[in-house]
Amino acid sequence: MLGETKPGMQCTEFDALLTEAIDGTLNGQRRERFEQHKAGCPACNTLFAEVISGVAWLNEVEDVEPPRNLVHKILAATSGAAQQAAKAEPRRTAWDRFLTQTRIVFAPVLTPRFGMSMGMAFFSITLVLNMAQIRIKDLTPHNLSHTYYSSQNKLMKYYENMRLVYEIESRVRDLRNASDESEREQKNRRREKNSNQTQEQNQNSEPDRRPHREFSRGQNAQYAASLNGIESFVISYPGILAKQRREI
Amino acid sequence: MLTLFTAIQSRQVEARLEEAQVVAQLVRRCASGDPVAWEEIVQRFHRRIYNICYRFAGSADDAQDLTQEVFIKVFRTVGSFDGEKASFNTWMTTVARNLLVDHFRKTRNDRATDSIDALQGADEDGPTLAERLASDGPSAQVHVESRERREMVHRALQQISPDLREAVILRDLQDMDYREIAQVLKVPEGTVKSRINRGRAELARLLQRTYKQAL
Repeated sequence: MLGETKPGMQCTEFDALLTEAIDGTLNGQRRERFEQHKAGCPACNTLFAEVISGVAWLNEVEDVEPPRNLVHKILAATSGAAQQAAKAEPRRTAWDRFLTQTRIVFAPVLTPRFGMSMGMAFFSITLVLNMAQIRIKDLTPHNLSHTYYSSQNKLMKYYENMRLVYEIESRVRDLRNASDESEREQKNRRREKNSNQTQEQNQNSEPDRRPHREFSRGQNAQYAASLNGIESFVISYPGILAKQRREI
Repeated sequence: MLTLFTAIQSRQVEARLEEAQVVAQLVRRCASGDPVAWEEIVQRFHRRIYNICYRFAGSADDAQDLTQEVFIKVFRTVGSFDGEKASFNTWMTTVARNLLVDHFRKTRNDRATDSIDALQGADEDGPTLAERLASDGPSAQVHVESRERREMVHRALQQISPDLREAVILRDLQDMDYREIAQVLKVPEGTVKSRINRGRAELARLLQRTYKQAL
């Protein structure tokens, strides 16, 4: 239909002029051409009739009456909106802006999943701190430095005490070794003495009933030297430590 | 005769200009926070906006909610109204039309289940129009017939496509001119005229079919 050439005008032109014809504003030669086309084009004639019918139907429609309380509802809603806007405006302080910015920045981590992970991590840290008997108030810089130096001091003392113990143990071991050697020598001498006495008894036929346990002068000197060494080491140990510390 | 027609036309133009001036003053007062001016605007325009919403949405409840939404939107954005671009009436109709289109899109799924025969189906259980006309007196007959015809047109409007419906409503029910409708719908005037013609023709075909079945 549209685009076809019919008497008077084309169907597209007829369609464009249809509203003016319905409104009664189409006059003169254009009106004549319009009527000529309508008479010669059945499709456009049908369209015209349908449009006229549609307008007639629509003319029967009247305005519906709005609900009586509509105006009050609108005014209540808009006054509520105005009050909300008035209340919201002064609340927009620097703190609010800061909170808004913070929310935007932390939006990716403010998720239930991340919150759960954070909760578990916090619980674990708290448990470890409790088990280690560390209180939160001890975690200040001053307390932390105090704890560090006291721990270091304890460690150094422990290390030095261990050194003293090892030194004493080694001296005692030396002393024990020395005493073992002297006992062996003593046994050898006793054995030799016994053998000599046996020979003399055999010669004089008189037994020797004196005790045989005696220390020689050399053995006593060895014991005394060992004990003096330990004593002098223990006495001079703080001086040695102080010297080592200075060297360090 | 022509002189009388011209005089009536000039009076109408004068009345429109006067109305536009009053409304512009009200809008200025409203933008500066005058609650009395806002109430006056609501009183002047609520009926028109309600009717647009009702004809487009088809339901009184939806129309009431949508009208409130339109006025809330207008109240919040009245400061941005520029009287040089369009009249307040056109601007407000644009706001209403945008909200109606949003509403239409939101409720598309709900309407998908509706049958195209809902126009006829609404009366299937009750008596036919002819039966009701026969059972009433002459004056009641006219009244009932008129009411039924209005209802049929209203239901038929819901059946035509939204593009055609809004053009027909703004032209034939709200009496807006083509330039204003083109501003509201954001399409050329030629498109507006074409949509109006097609909408009217489609409505007539639907009603003709329905009316024949009803009788």
